[in-house]
Amino acid sequence: MKITSLSLGALGALVVYIALRLSKGFALASIADVYILFMIAALLIYIPAGDKGKKGSLLVLGTLIFFILLELVRPLIPRSLLNVYNFFILVTVLLYFTSKDEGARDLMAPIKATLVGSENRTFRTALFAVVPLFAALITFNIVRPSYEAPGDTRSIHPAPPSSVNVFNKSYNLLTLKNPLRDDAANYAKYVKEGGEVYFKNCFYCHGDKLDGKGHYYHGVNPKPLPFMGTDTIAQLSESFVFWRVATGGPGLPKEGAPWLSAMPIWEHFLTEEEVWKVSMFIYDYSGNKPRTF
Amino acid sequence: MRRFWILKYLLIVSILLIVSNISEAAKGDKEAGKKIYERRCAWCHGWNGAGDGPAADFLNPRPRDFTSGIYKYKTSNLDNPFPYEDDLYKMIAEGMPGTSMPFWKDVLSSNDIWNLIAYIKSLAGLEGEPAAKINYGKQVSSSADSIKKGKELFIDRCSECHGDEGKGDAMKKLKDDWVGNRLWPRNLTKPWMFRAGSDPKDIYSRISTGISGTPMPAFDDPASKKKLTEEDKWHVVNYVTSIKNEARRIKDGDTVIKAKRLTGDMPKDANDEKWKDVESTAYPLVGQIIAKERFFTPSVEEITLKAVYNDKEIAFLLEWDDRTKSIPGDAKAQELADGELNEDAVAIQLPVTIPEGMEKPYFGMGDSGHPVNVWQWKSGTAKAEQSIKVMDATGFKNIKARDKADVTAKGEYNKGTWKVMMKRPLKTDNKDDIQFEEGKFTPIAFATWDGTNGEKGSKHTITTWYWILLKPPTGSMVFIWPIFVAGIVLGAEILIARSAQKK
Ligand code: HEC
Ligand code: HEC
Ligand code: HEC
Repeated sequence: MKITSLSLGALGALVVYIALRLSKGFALASIADVYILFMIAALLIYIPAGDKGKKGSLLVLGTLIFFILLELVRPLIPRSLLNVYNFFILVTVLLYFTSKDEGARDLMAPIKATLVGSENRTFRTALFAVVPLFAALITFNIVRPSYEAPGDTRSIHPAPPSSVNVFNKSYNLLTLKNPLRDDAANYAKYVKEGGEVYFKNCFYCHGDKLDGKGHYYHGVNPKPLPFMGTDTIAQLSESFVFWRVATGGPGLPKEGAPWLSAMPIWEHFLTEEEVWKVSMFIYDYSGNKPRTF
Repeated sequence: MRRFWILKYLLIVSILLIVSNISEAAKGDKEAGKKIYERRCAWCHGWNGAGDGPAADFLNPRPRDFTSGIYKYKTSNLDNPFPYEDDLYKMIAEGMPGTSMPFWKDVLSSNDIWNLIAYIKSLAGLEGEPAAKINYGKQVSSSADSIKKGKELFIDRCSECHGDEGKGDAMKKLKDDWVGNRLWPRNLTKPWMFRAGSDPKDIYSRISTGISGTPMPAFDDPASKKKLTEEDKWHVVNYVTSIKNEARRIKDGDTVIKAKRLTGDMPKDANDEKWKDVESTAYPLVGQIIAKERFFTPSVEEITLKAVYNDKEIAFLLEWDDRTKSIPGDAKAQELADGELNEDAVAIQLPVTIPEGMEKPYFGMGDSGHPVNVWQWKSGTAKAEQSIKVMDATGFKNIKARDKADVTAKGEYNKGTWKVMMKRPLKTDNKDDIQFEEGKFTPIAFATWDGTNGEKGSKHTITTWYWILLKPPTGSMVFIWPIFVAGIVLGAEILIARSAQKK
């Protein structure tokens, strides 16, 4: 494929990217945005230069590919570090292209042509108008006061204590087992009784479908956790569930933000046996098994 | 002869097809439905379908009693007391907003739902489908004229229950036909809370046949003096859809009340013009089910807030739709109450110290290390004036009311809405008071009590922590900086162009 059509494609993609971000209500303010705007401007200059702009187009395309690769691994690397990488890539590529006089000339020629030639007048005026406008927009987004509330970085499953005092007793959470599970003959009965406990006490928040979306769901924050799926109780031992249910939100350690959780302290409302039964119910209904290792 | 054989064959096949089609009419298999019912529905609707599952006593409205065969929402006409299977399908698949009846389409296949329908119909011995639909006539499209006509009809036919402005605040005590449970007429300004849809056609259906099992009458009833023609019904529909109050709708992620800075005086009361152009925020209220005594059946659904401040003071405007003005000692108000009549009330909760990090007081009245201030306003009784109380709390069980309040408050009730304004100096010299600071995100939470609905003490609604921000005025620098930068960039451009042209 010819280099011009490649860079035309890249140009299109970059424009679409910016449009998408703007339409989603994102403010253009990150360093990546500035970077992309520069790439667009560069492509706009190199593409019309045809063969002479080949080197420049290649330069932009190369950095763009790196840029995309880095975006792909982004969840692994913090944003600020990515920006540093991007910057170094840009500098290295520039250095490589301009290490010979002739290379530098090739890069500069189309820029010069845009800046000088009288045939490029309209394009030049447009470019000169658009660039300061973008600069103003980006600055505005940076200095504009933000009323976004401070985020909470609470841990959803903080490490449990090794023992807990509830129901006037001390329980060792490392060895604690659900005693009712030994009575296999009555399993179905316990599950049903646990269901009654659930539908008198828990479904407002954790949901009729155990999906975490009961009719009080919208009124509490953090949101009640679902029991369906494999992210919550499927990952927990039953002693963890016992601890969370018996001590509720206020029983969480600090990293779990106990001051926010609406999960009631069930020790105040249920008996020890009821807590074990409701635990059996939520495992049975969701088709999950307590972790045993 | 051979040809005849083929004809006979075709005849038999077509008869078989017709027969199998008839049995198709009952779309579901009730035995299969029973299994799903016992796993999913019995907890609310009861093991025998009598609407008496373990959850039932904690819910208002109560789960439907399927043995009665009466359903609230249907599109069959007045001669047919039972709903179409499609009506039931819609209620089960889409759920009923504003109640605990969830939507099931995410976990049940359509086959499952048809099986369930076959089962719940069998609980009341219902068979077959209704014979005729509601007659929708010709839909009248909405216009100022139609809305005006609709409003007049509404005042005449509907306001006795739904109130003059549709907020469900009329002076009548309504009960359902099943167990005589308290029924609150719908607040029609919040169509997103309608149980069976808020499209014009849905509302038309409700008006036509009423809501079975409730006092909401059928306006198609030829025996009634209040009967409405098809055209009239569309006018009423157009009026009802025109009174939607978007300010009451809760927007996800809208967690900050932005107090506006005023240059002059504070608003005098809740109806002051100064409140008009202040941004409002709405938050959901849910029953207090965290601490004893718990409260499961609130009647108020959300609260709308505004705030302003100047150099000296801060003021809050709290607005919520409450169907009843609860004034103990007032004979009329007493008639509407279930049992004891208490005052209506509203409260704001704030931390004494604005937290710097993530750590806040416990959202339910603070904790021992983190005290909160609670400002509670009460609506007064036939003998006593409205009142405001400031409390210091370090947990549910540690609440101390102060003798003197440095907060002032005044409320007004109008057609189903309470508006209460509370005001306090930004700074006080009491070390137990919160000291407000401009530009700082400060946690804030709310609670309401509907005295007619048996709410008192710990029985009330709550919110989680939200934020109040005293929004500093946007300085001119926000605009000067971008212009400055644009200027520099333009200058640089021109310099580059110049130097390029010189060469
Ligand atoms: C008022 C709402 C509310 C009620 C009622 C409620 N919960 Fe919770 N629950 C929550 C919230 C919110 C969370 C998430 C925050 C937390 O972990 O504390 C939670 C978390 C949990 C967890 C921890 C799950 C995990 O993956 O860590 C369990 C287990 C649990 N709840 C069980 C129950 C049981 C059993 C009941 C009834 C006896 C119940 N809840 C009633 C709100 C509620
Ligand atoms: C958490 C409790 C709960 C569960 C679980 C539940 N429902 Fe309901 N259901 C209700 C309540 C409450 C109502 C009544 C709402 C009202 O009257 O406005 C209701 C009403 C209904 C109605 C009546 C609609 C009408 O027009 O009158 C049907 C049909 C229904 N439910 C079917 C089901 C089926 C089928 C299931 C199981 C898949 C189910 N429900 C599970 C609480 C529940
Ligand atoms: C006698 C009292 C009464 C009258 C008169 C009355 N309603 Fe209702 N209406 C109710 C009650 C009660 C409910 C709530 C029923 C429930 O939730 O079970 C209701 C509910 C509704 C709903 C909500 C339906 C849904 O899907 O949630 C609409 C819409 C409505 N009424 C419109 C009207 C209109 C329009 C009129 C006049 C033409 C009217 N009503 C007259 C008592 C009444």
